Amino acid sequence: MQLIDGSRIITEACVRAGADVYVGYPITPSNWFYAYAQKRFPLFLAGPDEISVLQWMAGFSAAGRLPVTATSFPGLALMVESLNMAHMMELPMLIIVTQRLGPSTGSATTGAQGDLLLLRGALSGGYQIPVFCPSNFEDCWNLTYEGIKTAIRYRTPVVLLTSKEMVMTYRSFDLSSLPEVKKVERETPKVELPYQSYRAGADGVPPFVPLGDATHQVRLNASTHGNLGLIQKTSDEAMANTRRLQDKLEQHIPDFTFYELDEEPGADELIVSYGISADAARDALAELRRRGRKGSLLVIKTLLPVPPAVLDILEQYEKQVFVEENLPGLLKELIYGHARRKNIRSVNKIGSMITPSEILM
Amino acid sequence: MTQPILSTNNMPFCPGCGHGVAIKNLAKALEEAGYSPLDVIVVSDIGCAGLVDPILATHTIHGLHGRAPALALGVSLGLSSPGKKVVAIQGDGGATIGLQHLLEAARRNVDITLIVLNNLLYGMTGGQMSGLSTVEFKAGKQITDDTPPFDIVKLVHEAGAAYSSRITSPGDFKAQFLEALRAPGFSLVEVACLCPSHGVKKLKDLSIVALGDLKLAHEREPGRAAFRPTEPLFAQDKPERPSYRSNIKERLGLLIAGSAGGGIQSAARLIANAGILSGLHVTMKGEYPITVGTGFSAAEVILSRDKIHYTGLEHPDVVVAATEDGLVKARSRIHAHTILVLDSKLKEEAFPNAVYGDFQKEAGKQGAALSAAARWLVQEGVLQVEALLEVARKHKHGEAMVEVLEKCKSVEV
Ligand code: SF4
Repeated sequence: MQLIDGSRIITEACVRAGADVYVGYPITPSNWFYAYAQKRFPLFLAGPDEISVLQWMAGFSAAGRLPVTATSFPGLALMVESLNMAHMMELPMLIIVTQRLGPSTGSATTGAQGDLLLLRGALSGGYQIPVFCPSNFEDCWNLTYEGIKTAIRYRTPVVLLTSKEMVMTYRSFDLSSLPEVKKVERETPKVELPYQSYRAGADGVPPFVPLGDATHQVRLNASTHGNLGLIQKTSDEAMANTRRLQDKLEQHIPDFTFYELDEEPGADELIVSYGISADAARDALAELRRRGRKGSLLVIKTLLPVPPAVLDILEQYEKQVFVEENLPGLLKELIYGHARRKNIRSVNKIGSMITPSEILM
Repeated sequence: MTQPILSTNNMPFCPGCGHGVAIKNLAKALEEAGYSPLDVIVVSDIGCAGLVDPILATHTIHGLHGRAPALALGVSLGLSSPGKKVVAIQGDGGATIGLQHLLEAARRNVDITLIVLNNLLYGMTGGQMSGLSTVEFKAGKQITDDTPPFDIVKLVHEAGAAYSSRITSPGDFKAQFLEALRAPGFSLVEVACLCPSHGVKKLKDLSIVALGDLKLAHEREPGRAAFRPTEPLFAQDKPERPSYRSNIKERLGLLIAGSAGGGIQSAARLIANAGILSGLHVTMKGEYPITVGTGFSAAEVILSRDKIHYTGLEHPDVVVAATEDGLVKARSRIHAHTILVLDSKLKEEAFPNAVYGDFQKEAGKQGAALSAAARWLVQEGVLQVEALLEVARKHKHGEAMVEVLEKCKSVEV
């Protein structure tokens, strides 16, 4: 066993998976990432602000690198326009978002789960970015790898959504229990000539050739564009390309659907949680069963796009308890909107972690 | 003869627009410098200046308003093959909203040539004034605003650009572009441009309303990206067998609270590590104000036989407070069954389950919290002092801790 924190595990997994550039801007509670990245990444750069951070990352990505940053809400807010750009240009990168208590500057050293719907709505038009959410140290390791794999495989920015309590708490942990993480190799693209940066095959993902390539002219574009990567207003080709951005991820959701289901035969109640509240839910379930009652637990790890497999599980349970560290119940709203639903109980809280006993009430 | 940089001579701008002249000069300069189209990456901004992509045979990347120099910085430092040239093109509006990016690229002297096509206004949105619009130009438009413009040539020079210049004279300015392209590091050329649709329509007027010609340079090494091999942050060794005993059966939650600089965080980590050596599962988290050098400092440690999921600690079983700051911080979490381990100086108040000791006197301000916590843990058989000592001895600055631990058993309580 070693005493270790989530920031360290995530940073190490990034580099093992092949991330080579970290662009950072100091912000609590993501500062441990900054410190570890300085030691571990092949290239570390200190950006002057978070807009620059995401722009630099986009440039690195376009040149064929795999950049990473870590931030929290105030930094993420500044990144939103550039995140749209990276999505539109289809540039792989990993953005670690460490949630803290808001609104606004809030309380920088207090954890929270308040940014899920910001991420759902961050892209104009409702397009999606994969958002993975670790619920324990195993997830910190595995989902970081999956995040980088997904970013490269589907040419997209990926967000790793975490929280202060996940990345700044030390735990005894057996690191030898973690699976080996190997560098995510980029496939040599099967390029149809002449190369067009946004002409995709059946899988919806255009082969990636970096800027500066000696044989193919590469054109990347953040404005509405056709296959070639040149601005087109609302031509059929440009609209087909924009629609592809939606389809590209949707059709591959099963490839990056992650969740943990602890199912008990005969249980009619399902506890639903994610991230830092998941451990309280795990303890609550164990206590419930000790008391001789039946219950199941779903910990969602792919938060966005919402995986159909998750909806299938939810549909099997009459009664559901949504556990999350925010007031309105953002995950519940993501799934059920504002519809009034019977048999759904919400356990919400701000300012400190939800306790197992609060879930059992 | 290299291949042409432009794929057409038909410019995408309004007739008579100065942007076209500048782009043709740029293409000629790139060709003369020996670049073939695929050696060049053009990073274009939003605005009329950003309409250039389709006429270029180079690589192109078209981003957001004002961000071209920042995007170009990433591209330039990220390229893996040498001999490439990154050229960013933006207008005066883009240079205004993204001024930070110009300064940052100049400060780092990153190998980029930035062309700012300054038509003194926002062309795409109807001719509004930018941060580069001059007082003379505004006066000519009957706009009463005597705020002077940014002189970006001087600003990037001050920030460290290898080369910066401004061109207001018409015609052939390929030579200046060549100088900029050859400058080792960041270069900027600001070109005052006609905008027949909204702005200056005649060349002779341009030299009156624009800031004057200027050329500045620094001898500096260009900023490069030094990718380097690094060592893993941790080894994935198989865990060693625990070598010490602990008598705990239930999960035990400890809150150690004190003042900043009181060694609270290192005491908590030491205890957590000693717990691991004793075969326990542990968690540890710190809490301190943003100003880490003053006020309180607190840390929670959980020791348990079973795997720990939930790491919160609402009601600590034991509160260790070596100073007033610490007691104030811990107070709201003290309950009927909480055991308190306190410095004798805090004796004025009567707590039912308190143990007092002269920890400050014996171990000093920095060692008091460790002394108090260790004293109680060892006395109760939660940890063996040898486990704590083993961790302290491995610690970089462990000598003081070793001393505190060796003495803690003799502190009277
Ligand atoms: S609006 Fe002005 S700057 Fe823009 S293309 Fe037309 S003339 Fe040129």
